[in-house]
Amino acid sequence: MSACDVVVIGGGLSGLVAAAAAAERDKKVVLIAKGVGAIAVGSGSIDVLGYEAGGKPVARPLAEMGKLPSNHPYARAGKQATAKAFEFFLDLCEKGGFPYSGSADVARWVPTAIGTLKPTCFLPRSMDPAPLEAAKAAVVVGFRGLKDYYPELIIRGLMQVPAYPKRFRTVIVDPEMAGRDVNALDIARWLDTESGRHACIEQMLTGIAPGNVVLVPPVLGTVPNYGVLEEFEKATTCKFIEITGMPPAITGLRLYDLLVSEIKKRGVRIVEHATVTRAVVDNGRCTAVVTHGVDRERTHPARSFILATGGFYSGGLEAGFGSAREPVFGLPVKVPESQSDWSNAFLLSGGAQPFARFGLDVDARLRPTDGSGKAVFENVYAVGRTLSGFDDAFEKSGNGVAVVTGYRAGTLVA
Amino acid sequence: MKGYLYDSDRCMACTSCTVVCPVAAATREFLGPKMVGPALSRFRRPALAPDLAADLCSNCKNCDISCPSGVPISTLNMLSKAEYYRHHRHRLRDWVLSHGQLMGNLATPFVPLSNLAIANPISRTMLGAFGFAGRMPLPAYVRKTFRKQFRALRQQSFPQKVVFFPGCYIDFYDPGVGLDFVAVMQANEYEVVVPRGLGCCGTPMVANGFPGAAERAVRRNVRALQEWTDAGVPVVACCTSCSLTLKQEQQELFDVPGAAELAARVYDATEFLLELRDRGKLKTDLKQLSGRYLYHAPCHLRDQGIGRPGFEMLGSLPGLEISDADAGCCGLSGSYGFKGDRYEVAQAVGDALFKKVRASGADAVISECGTCRHQITVATGAKTLHPISVMRRAFE
Repeated sequence: MSACDVVVIGGGLSGLVAAAAAAERDKKVVLIAKGVGAIAVGSGSIDVLGYEAGGKPVARPLAEMGKLPSNHPYARAGKQATAKAFEFFLDLCEKGGFPYSGSADVARWVPTAIGTLKPTCFLPRSMDPAPLEAAKAAVVVGFRGLKDYYPELIIRGLMQVPAYPKRFRTVIVDPEMAGRDVNALDIARWLDTESGRHACIEQMLTGIAPGNVVLVPPVLGTVPNYGVLEEFEKATTCKFIEITGMPPAITGLRLYDLLVSEIKKRGVRIVEHATVTRAVVDNGRCTAVVTHGVDRERTHPARSFILATGGFYSGGLEAGFGSAREPVFGLPVKVPESQSDWSNAFLLSGGAQPFARFGLDVDARLRPTDGSGKAVFENVYAVGRTLSGFDDAFEKSGNGVAVVTGYRAGTLVA
Repeated sequence: MKGYLYDSDRCMACTSCTVVCPVAAATREFLGPKMVGPALSRFRRPALAPDLAADLCSNCKNCDISCPSGVPISTLNMLSKAEYYRHHRHRLRDWVLSHGQLMGNLATPFVPLSNLAIANPISRTMLGAFGFAGRMPLPAYVRKTFRKQFRALRQQSFPQKVVFFPGCYIDFYDPGVGLDFVAVMQANEYEVVVPRGLGCCGTPMVANGFPGAAERAVRRNVRALQEWTDAGVPVVACCTSCSLTLKQEQQELFDVPGAAELAARVYDATEFLLELRDRGKLKTDLKQLSGRYLYHAPCHLRDQGIGRPGFEMLGSLPGLEISDADAGCCGLSGSYGFKGDRYEVAQAVGDALFKKVRASGADAVISECGTCRHQITVATGAKTLHPISVMRRAFE
């Protein structure tokens, strides 16, 4: 493979942002992706810091970061880089034609498809819950046959939220879909078509009135822009809010397509469907990484490497009995000696899971360290869920850490 | 055989494949790769009645490309199709479409009569009755196959050798691509060898549920290539479905001794040339070219885990303006889009690409895959080229 400045290993959110940040500095970047990251099927909202370690909600995420332990990825990245990372992300979305709203200063609570609220910070404009907070009544639009989306369940939950209206009604749109089960992607594709949008608007108008606030599943088109939203708002003079939903949650797909297209514009070369299995190292430096297909190995030389392979779910970390490791570089992952201390036995207790914090320890430049705190390789950086010291599921910080550490590594690589 | 690759339990039902599947996007009749591949395979294990859920799968492999857990979803689909046809009769049409080599051997001696026989209005109606898509013309046979023309060619002899695997499309329909490859290699001081006994790579047979015929094709090719593989000579194909089969699919599906050793030597032509360029082994005094081109990456190239070497090579040729269409699958998928009951799906899949091509105003569309080029030309009227044909102009 042709030599380049930076190889990014992993095509999830942290890898895409790292590639964009490095390419922005005119680095020649190759991004190697095994598959698509969780981002393509997720909500696309950037959760920054939703809960303290004790479970108390965080009102001001950016201010709260000052209290985090020094091994938390936000602390490692530093205050200045964190702020710049979010600016960079917002700028990317703006340039991609799908501007996000929100800030890391204040937590936004957004409704979900099971009628709960979740704390986040940056959102597509179509997911901004502000109109709901200002309304006296709201409409929940459902779609006949749509899986994992039940207006009654959503209303029952949202009625309990003090800031929300107490009057909800339901309008059911029939997309007249035969064949397999209907998911949000099917509806979004239907609304990509002019005839689908017209039919949907016509059916909604039987139950909504000008000025209504209307909650819909994440279905306002598959393309990263606000075309469908604007058309709906114009045709009905209502405010529409997309609720976060189960995978495939189309808002994340829009962000994924936007980021892939933005990094391609910046000259990043993407190698799809390739798994990096090992590194070639020489005297404290990595000189190349090696991909392994069914056929043979291929070598990808570069000056710097960004490890964005994710956690246990995506194979970026591997757990065995009594030990865990990072498989590409063989980096150490610190775990409690007794395996019974790895997990919280009460799965549904609402408490955190210790294994969720397992990952790579890094120095202030995000380079994985050995037991003594010294960087193992001078030119290898780790980002996103590969890192230790945070619990993305419990504290609701996964995408925020991905953006911040991805950006930071992209600005550090030589 | 790398049978461990079939483990459907590595699927965590994340829906990534559902999101990227072009067939699922085009028709609601298809249950989608997650359901048809890993989910249903679990039920197939205890030998339940074989089902046809996978029949709408075109084997384009976008599911495999997207899977974050490395599940070979399309291969699970092909296995289930094969199992179904172990118990059910095939359609004659599917036999014809998957035995291109035999059909080519029969038809070529009678060109142009054989082309007239398949392209006239009466026979097209008859083909329609047999289940072919009346609106999708089959590519026309050439009078002289690539192999015939190659045998008549006088190459300059060089110590560096490379084996060329022509495949059916280049052999019977598009021999110019193979000749362009030979010319590029000669210009870079390589001698091209086409061993006797090479045939179809087997992928159309796999896609149409003829695993036995496919395995026989694989065994024949592995045998024909063995002396060259043993000698460490690279084996290069200009067709990305052939190279994907030789590298990967034949190892996933069959237990053929020598297949792994062969796979380790197989290259897509543009991959091979890019590697030579990076090692400083290619001629550097290139001719100035001109023209504005649109590039389409075939799915079976994207699946190979090598990026887009052809696009990268073309981008570095002097004077060439080239942009990536980046518009997904063309829809034809080898034999799929020629079928009457698949034609609409295939056209819907390719629609985004066709729109890009029409809007581009490019001089030609460049793509490695012969059937992608055929689909693009039929749908849009655009001129199409294999990257190697453009490279020939720069190197000669």
